[in-house]
Amino acid sequence: MDQIFFALLNGTIYGLLLFMVSAGLTLIFGMMGVLNFAHASFYMLGAYFAYTLQPLTGFWPAIVLSPLLVAAIGVVIERYALRRVHHFGHAHELLVTFGIAVVIAELVKLFYGNYPVEYRVPTELSFAAFTLSGIDYPFYRLFMGAVAVAMFAAIYLLLTRTRVGIVVRSAIYRPAMAEALGHNVPLVFMGVFGIGAALAGLAGAVAGAFYTTNPNMALDLAVLVFVVVVVGGLGSLGGAMLASLLIGITNSLAVGVNFSLGDIFGIVGLGEWAGSVGGVMTMRLSSFAATLPFFLMLLGFWCVRRA
Amino acid sequence: MKLRPFLILLAVMVLLAIPWLVSSSMLNAAIQMLIAALFAMAFSLLCGQAGMLSFGHAAYFGLGAFATVHAMNAFNGEGLLPTPLLPLAGAAVGLVSGVVAGYFSTKRTGVYFAMITLALAELLHALAPHLKGTFGGEAGISSFRMPAWGFGFGTAIEVYYLTLFWVLLAIGLLYLLMLTPLGRLALGLRENQRRLRFLGYNVHALGTLIFAISAMFSGLAGALQSLNIEAANYAELETHVSTVVLLNSFIGGVRVFLGPAIGAALMTFFGHVTSDVTRVWLLYQGIIFVLVMMFLPRGIVGELVERFSGKRPAGEGIRLSEMLPRLAGIAVAALGGVVLIELLQRVMSRDYRALAAGGQWPEITMMGLSWQPGSPLTWLVPLSALALGLALVLGVNRRAAARREATA
Repeated sequence: MDQIFFALLNGTIYGLLLFMVSAGLTLIFGMMGVLNFAHASFYMLGAYFAYTLQPLTGFWPAIVLSPLLVAAIGVVIERYALRRVHHFGHAHELLVTFGIAVVIAELVKLFYGNYPVEYRVPTELSFAAFTLSGIDYPFYRLFMGAVAVAMFAAIYLLLTRTRVGIVVRSAIYRPAMAEALGHNVPLVFMGVFGIGAALAGLAGAVAGAFYTTNPNMALDLAVLVFVVVVVGGLGSLGGAMLASLLIGITNSLAVGVNFSLGDIFGIVGLGEWAGSVGGVMTMRLSSFAATLPFFLMLLGFWCVRRA
Repeated sequence: MKLRPFLILLAVMVLLAIPWLVSSSMLNAAIQMLIAALFAMAFSLLCGQAGMLSFGHAAYFGLGAFATVHAMNAFNGEGLLPTPLLPLAGAAVGLVSGVVAGYFSTKRTGVYFAMITLALAELLHALAPHLKGTFGGEAGISSFRMPAWGFGFGTAIEVYYLTLFWVLLAIGLLYLLMLTPLGRLALGLRENQRRLRFLGYNVHALGTLIFAISAMFSGLAGALQSLNIEAANYAELETHVSTVVLLNSFIGGVRVFLGPAIGAALMTFFGHVTSDVTRVWLLYQGIIFVLVMMFLPRGIVGELVERFSGKRPAGEGIRLSEMLPRLAGIAVAALGGVVLIELLQRVMSRDYRALAAGGQWPEITMMGLSWQPGSPLTWLVPLSALALGLALVLGVNRRAAARREATA
C-alpha cells in the first residue's frame, strides 16, 4: 500500500513537472500551429544554466536567473528564426525547430561534454519531508511539486484575470481578429514564446538538480511532452495539466508492475506457447519502462483525433 | 537542351573511375557517400515527393542492415543468397516493415504523422537491446562476405562496385517511379490530399505504398552498409541516424530529384574529411541545416537549379556586384565562426579542462597557428571576423532591397 502511495505521489510530482514544460508548448502550439521541437531543449538549457550559475550565485539566484536567460534565447529564436520561416508553412517551421534542437544539444555537448554533470540538490534542501514505514520521502520532490503548482496558479490568474491575459487568449484563438482590433499580435507571440521558454527553463533548473542533467534529457522529455500536448488538447492549459498528471502517474506506476506479455497469454491458456516463443513474450513489463513513453506517444498520436 | 544525358553519362563515368582516382581511405568514404546518398533519396521520396515528414527513418535503415547480417550468417555462414544479391534481403525486410509502419502512421497527417514515425523508431531503438537474439545486444552482430560469382569481395574496390551498382539501380528505379502515375500521385499527396480523395483515390493505401517503397530503399541502404562494414549494431537504430538523413536531405533540397543525394554525399564527404580535425561535425551540420532552412528554403541544389534554369522573371537575375561581396561576407563570417567553435571545443575538452583546473593554460595549436586562451586577442579576432562578415552581408542585402524598392 505504501509502495502505491509513494508511486502515486512521485507520479503526481513528475506530472506537475511535465506540466511546467508542456504549458508553454501547448500555448505555442495553439497559437502558431507549430510543434516546437526545441521546447524540451529549453528545459535542458535551464538545467545547464542553473548548474553553471550555482557556484557563482548560489542556488536560489541561479534558479531565478537561468529561466530569464532561457527566455531571452527563446525570444531570439522566435524573432529571428521562426518568424522568418513562418510563410513557408508549418512543416518548414517544425524542421527549423528540429534543427535548432540539434544545434542546442550539440552546443551543450561541446561546452559540458557528452556525459551527466554534477548538478545536485543543495544540502540545505536535501532532507526528508516525512517518513512512512521506514522510507524517507525527500523534501525536494515536494518542493518541485510546489513550484509547479505555484506556476500553474500564476499563469491561470494571469490568463483569466488580467487584461494582458484576455489579449493573449484572443491572439491564441483568433489571431487575425485580434490583430484587426489593433493588438500587436507578433509581440504577443514573442512574449508567449519567451514565457513558455522561461517556464521550461525553470522546470529544468529545478528538476535538473533532482533527476540527471545530461545532453539526452531534452529528447527523453520531448517525447512525453508531445504526448501531453496532444492528449490534453491544443492550447488548453487545463487539458495539459490533466494529461501531465495522467502520464506522470502512468509512467511511475508502470515501473513497479512486474508481469510479461506471456502472463497475459497464460490467462487464456497459451502460457506454454508464449514461453516457447520467448523474445518479446517473456520480457518483464518493468524492463519495458524505457519504452513506455513511446508507447504512450504512439497511442496519443494515433488515437486522438485531430482537434 | 540535350545536356542532361551527357551530364548523367559523365557523372556515371566519374563514379566508375573513382577507384583509380582516389586513395583507399577515400574509397571507403566514397562507399559511405553512396550509401548516404541512397538513404537520402529513399527518405526524400517520402518527405520531398509525398510531403510526409518522417523523423524515424533509422528504423528501416537499421532493420535492413540487421536482415542482411542475418542473411549473411544464414546456413552456418553460407549465406541466404549469393553476396551480390544480399541487399535484396535488406530491401525485403524494409518493404515489409514499411508496409506495417506505413499502415499505422499514414492514418494521420502532418505533425501527427511525423510524431508517430518518431515514436515507432524510438520504440524499436528502446526494445532492440532486450532482444539479444535478433539485435545482438551491446556488441551487435558481425558477419563475413562470402566469395560469389568469381569475385572474392575481400577488397574495398569490389565492395565499391557492388555498392555503386545497387545505388545506381535504386536511383534509376526511383527516377522511373517518378514518371509513373504512382509517382505523380505522390506529388498529389503532398500538394492536396483532400482533392485526391475527392478524385476517388484511396489516399491511405497510396500513403502506405509510398511509405513502404521509401522504407524498402532505406532498407537497401542499410543492407549495403552491413555488407560494407560486415556487421550491424543497434546504434544504427539511433535517433542520430534519422537526424542525419533528414539534415542531409533538406540541406541538398528534397524537391529536386538528385538534391538529397548530392546533399548527403557532400555532407558525408565533409564529415569524413573533417573527422580528424573536429569532433563536432554534427554541430556544423545542424548550423548549416538551420541556415539553409532559413535562407535557402529549397535547399542548396534546389536553389542552384532555380537560379540557373532561367525560370526567374527578368531583373531578378544574379548581380555579380551583389553576389561577390555577399559570398565574401559569408566566407569571412564562416571562417570566424569555425575558428570560434574549434577554439571552444579545444578549451572545453576534458583533457584541457583537467589542465586548466591545475592552473595551467597551455596554448592551443590549431590551423598551423598557436592560440593563447588567456589573451583577449584570441577571442576577439574570430568574433570580429564573424561580426564583420555578417555586417557585410546585411549591408549588401539592405542596399539590394533599397534598389529593388527604387526600381519597383
